[in-house]
Amino acid sequence: MAKTILAVDDSGSLRQMVAFSLKAAGYDVVQAVDGQDGLNKAKEKTVDLVLTDQNMPIMDGLTLIKNLRGLGSYQKIPILMLTTESSDEMKAKGKAAGANGWLVKPFDPKRLIEVVQKVIGS
Amino acid sequence: MQMNRKPISELRTLLSAVSEHGDKHLMEVEADLQQIVFLLNEAIEKLVSSFSQVNALVEQQQALLVDLDAQGKLTQAEAASLNRCKLDIGNEINAVVTGMQFQDMTNQLLQRNINRVNGLKDLLQALAEHGHEMDADKEHEDISRFLEDIHHNLHTGSHALSGNLRKVVGQKDLTSGDIDLF
Repeated sequence: MAKTILAVDDSGSLRQMVAFSLKAAGYDVVQAVDGQDGLNKAKEKTVDLVLTDQNMPIMDGLTLIKNLRGLGSYQKIPILMLTTESSDEMKAKGKAAGANGWLVKPFDPKRLIEVVQKVIGS
Repeated sequence: MQMNRKPISELRTLLSAVSEHGDKHLMEVEADLQQIVFLLNEAIEKLVSSFSQVNALVEQQQALLVDLDAQGKLTQAEAASLNRCKLDIGNEINAVVTGMQFQDMTNQLLQRNINRVNGLKDLLQALAEHGHEMDADKEHEDISRFLEDIHHNLHTGSHALSGNLRKVVGQKDLTSGDIDLF
């Protein structure tokens, strides 16, 4: 059974590129348009990995991670940030919030899949 | 008495004119930025849609060719060429996926500029809207205090504006970014 990844980003084109890349590698992808939407979808169905942007309206990525880590079912689920932000300060905040990794946009599909496979397997 | 020949009403007219001219130009800048956002959004939608179609068709074509190869209808050289094409197509698709992420970054930069323009419009508005009533006998001191107030308000407004516009896109090109696993 294919593993499911929740892709959270307010940019429609970015979500489509993420979904396209991950589906091509055999993963199922659930998409969410902001942190709140991501949190709602994560509660509906526990996914195998969360890949989230940082700067989004309504709820940002760090807040989403903190909320997810507060849910029993998401305490050990890997969460990766995929964002334009690259400062050490933001990465430290992500790590403190509970992120397992930080990917700076733009992503290369091949490298993204390698990372996902390393984190959750094929 | 130099100041008597340049009364407060003239200063107010001048500041209002500065505000009005600035606002007019900033409205044009904002309209252009909004138009760029719209055009880029439309362009990326069409690009993503066409890209998906092309990719699906290429996959169909590849599947047909693989079938032909399985039936022994391709020479060894043709099959090898087909495999090379498949690899090259995969690499090009990866490059396209990376490149098409431009809109996410340019959109964030454009929104930041639209917000800055709106903040500047508010600051200029503060020049035109001031409630200082001044006594003609103490005009010199009042104007001086008035200008100090404006300077302070502009400085505070500008500082607040900068604080709300943290730069979140530092990318100068579309080279794929760093990956850190914690």
